[in-house]
Amino acid sequence: MAERIDLATPAEKAARLLSAMNMDFFDVYVVYSRSLSIGVLGRGIRDAKSRIDLGLGVRAYKNRGLGVAFSQSLEPEDVEETVDRAVSFARAAQPDPYFKGIPGPSKAEDVPGLCDKEIICLTLEEAGELVKRMIDAAEEVRHGAMYRGGMTVGYSRSYLLTSTGISVEMEKTSVSAFIEPTYRRGDDVGSSYEYDYAVSLAEIDFEAIGRKAAEKALEQFGSRRVKSGALPIILTPDSTSSFISGLMLAISGESAVKKRTFASRFLGKQIAPQILEIVDDGTIPGAIASSPYDGEGVPRRLTKVVGEGRILTFLHNSYSAGIAGVETTGHARRDYRGYVGAGPTNVRVKPGDSSLEEMISETRKGVLVTNASLIPNMVSGEFSSTIDEGFLIEGGEKKHPVKNLMVGGQILEMYRNIELISKEGRTIGKGFFFPSIKISRVKLAGG
Amino acid sequence: MKDLLEEIVDEGLKAGASFCEARFFEERGNRISVENGVAKALGFGIVRGVGVRVIVDGRWGFASTNVLTRRSLKEALADAIGAAKSLAKRRGEEAEIIDVKPAVDTVHHKVRVNPEDVSPEEKVKAMLEIEKAARVFSERVKDTFVSYRDVSTKVIVCNSLGTLVEETTPRIHVHCTVISKRGGNMQVGFESIGNVSGYELVERIHPEEFSGRAAEKAVRLLDANPPPRGIYTVVTDPKVGGLFVHEAFGHNCEGDLVFGGQSIVSDKMGKRVASDMVSIIDDPTQLRNGHYVYDHEGVRAKKHIIVKDGVLVSFLHSLESAAKMGGEPQGSARAQSHHYPPIVRMSNTYFAPGDMTLEEILEDIKLGVYLSGSQYGYVETQKGQFTCKVEQAWLIEKGELTVHLRDVAINGSTLEALKNVTAVGKDLKIEMPGICGKSGQGIYVDAGAPHMRFEGIVVGGRK
Repeated sequence: MAERIDLATPAEKAARLLSAMNMDFFDVYVVYSRSLSIGVLGRGIRDAKSRIDLGLGVRAYKNRGLGVAFSQSLEPEDVEETVDRAVSFARAAQPDPYFKGIPGPSKAEDVPGLCDKEIICLTLEEAGELVKRMIDAAEEVRHGAMYRGGMTVGYSRSYLLTSTGISVEMEKTSVSAFIEPTYRRGDDVGSSYEYDYAVSLAEIDFEAIGRKAAEKALEQFGSRRVKSGALPIILTPDSTSSFISGLMLAISGESAVKKRTFASRFLGKQIAPQILEIVDDGTIPGAIASSPYDGEGVPRRLTKVVGEGRILTFLHNSYSAGIAGVETTGHARRDYRGYVGAGPTNVRVKPGDSSLEEMISETRKGVLVTNASLIPNMVSGEFSSTIDEGFLIEGGEKKHPVKNLMVGGQILEMYRNIELISKEGRTIGKGFFFPSIKISRVKLAGG
Repeated sequence: MKDLLEEIVDEGLKAGASFCEARFFEERGNRISVENGVAKALGFGIVRGVGVRVIVDGRWGFASTNVLTRRSLKEALADAIGAAKSLAKRRGEEAEIIDVKPAVDTVHHKVRVNPEDVSPEEKVKAMLEIEKAARVFSERVKDTFVSYRDVSTKVIVCNSLGTLVEETTPRIHVHCTVISKRGGNMQVGFESIGNVSGYELVERIHPEEFSGRAAEKAVRLLDANPPPRGIYTVVTDPKVGGLFVHEAFGHNCEGDLVFGGQSIVSDKMGKRVASDMVSIIDDPTQLRNGHYVYDHEGVRAKKHIIVKDGVLVSFLHSLESAAKMGGEPQGSARAQSHHYPPIVRMSNTYFAPGDMTLEEILEDIKLGVYLSGSQYGYVETQKGQFTCKVEQAWLIEKGELTVHLRDVAINGSTLEALKNVTAVGKDLKIEMPGICGKSGQGIYVDAGAPHMRFEGIVVGGRK
């Protein structure tokens, strides 16, 4: 599904037009992508979809003012209009005192294993068969669920050209699958989901996804309210992922350096016990969030973000690095729509020396959180979230699932109260790694 | 373009499709971002392409492309047919649609001032004025942001039922965010306005009222307290009520989720699902952010009464869900762009007004929580569990609003909450322009409610 669409010609045409317009800086980013997906709804497979997307985005700077424009058409007149708009907008924009320029060229090491031929050659028939296997595996656990889910495989190729001499072409494949079975027993509902994603098809075990989803859904029957109180909670890897993502967002880019997040004032400071260590690594071969270069053509690298519980660095693109007076860390993110942000790549939390089993058995009363969105208010760090799936722990044992239970507080206090980290955890897409984490005390609002 | 779409639909039928639809989508828009007195970025974009959807051998196939040549569209048709055929022997949901009378029409929403006729410089000047009113509100204001967006969306739906409908819809959105700071305490306030409109919407904004209000919220929240936690009587303002009716209940009434077994009300048609004070309406014909004349299957939109006096009386339908559930399609299928097939969506969703004043609603509450402004909400439709995060709240003590609260969220079971509505105000407001996400697709919507009282709601907090 990866036909050769010429990205260089429209990018170079746009660059030529921009060069003639006396801009201070510009870049052109063109992306071609193709995806196939199978949708699941109700009793099984519902539809099959194929998509071709193509777009060209321009950033133009004049007197530190930014004009951005994009077009999903690469027809010559549309490329011309896109350039004209970006240029006239750059002239109409006001000087951004923080803008220092865009990066120049530097050579990255190759990151192997980012393009899977099996995905490129996959047909919808074959994709349908994989999804069928996922549903069949769930049905084997318990027949008769209603489903929501599906899978998508994609291939994308991008081309970046800048006024500073960068010319970078990258390609990548991806596959994602998820399924959410819902079982009903009178008014009682048992529902959960399981997912996986990767660069290569061979890394996804479709049967395991179906089986786990059904098993997790059945465990959700008989959920009960839990009284309000302050208790320890144990996050399984999927909840740890959400808990750590909030921190990674809060230390990323412009908002972090302009002191607009709850983590802004903690650069170089302790936010958690010494057992917490987090690295970000965009160079892991074959990993889902790896690439040789970031969205501005800067080489990816390994960055230790939190060491011994201390925030060691923010994650920068060139703009936020310019404000902080440091080198960019190669964390620029973009699509062809023009605006460039910053954010993490493959996030890995260092395993500890406990285990999930140990954490549960040593908890007299607490809650095991298997699915919850623990993203706080990015500015204040305060949060109040529903435990979407979780279990009461009593006397060191996992008891019934919980319902209508909320967890709330200050996320910084949650990081400070990290008590144990497990040695085992979940690796996702060959890149991300999240262990289980026990937090000593959290306020819960329930029945 | 219409000729080309008709050609594709004809070819689809000849190739064995029992239904074929070719949908052109174009969205052109401008953006301005102002930060702390500087209009630092201006943006422009064109989204354009065609989505082709077919039923072949009883299965759905869909393909989309941004490349608008005859060859590329024919390839998309072949891909869609191939996609449907690839599923022919798979177990799953049979594709079907209801037969409706075809529509042939062209709709252009009239505007007084076309945003394309206003220069970028003039728009920047207006946004700077709006931003300034927030910045000068208080010394506690740390950062101010104003974003402006104008967008014109053109959709042409051509299908094998004989429908050929074109609709072009202009929208304007202005959003103001303010961050306040005192020591290590930072808070956020925001305001937004958006509608199907020309640039005249911007001309009606009074900066002191609009962005001044966002700044006032951000600054006052610095002194607000963490909320109590536990079960309380709550009173919701029109925005929180709007968030609740959309997230907690509305999604459950979307026909595709109902036939897909994802709704808690799938077996409740004709039954009581709420207190008899509650009526719920979804109305795409109202000139609000979710307004349209034809949906993206080319069906003319009507006002939908979903719940009448506490009884569930209808679901929202696409051609497919109406066929599967025996309903009448009244124009509720929309798609984010050509890259997505139309799915069942809400438009302008609201609780119908009752006859009480806010004072009457509050007066006999000994201890409760008044919730104001919505941040976000989500629902697990299959379980009927909702979460709504609000901007700010007040404790209600003996019928009076007392302590100001921040970072408040509520949670509960939708049907329990609706049965426990004990008061409905007469002050309906539909003022929550936004984009709602479902199945990876974002769609323009609006929502609202009058003031309402719910008993027994879980309030989450730190205290």
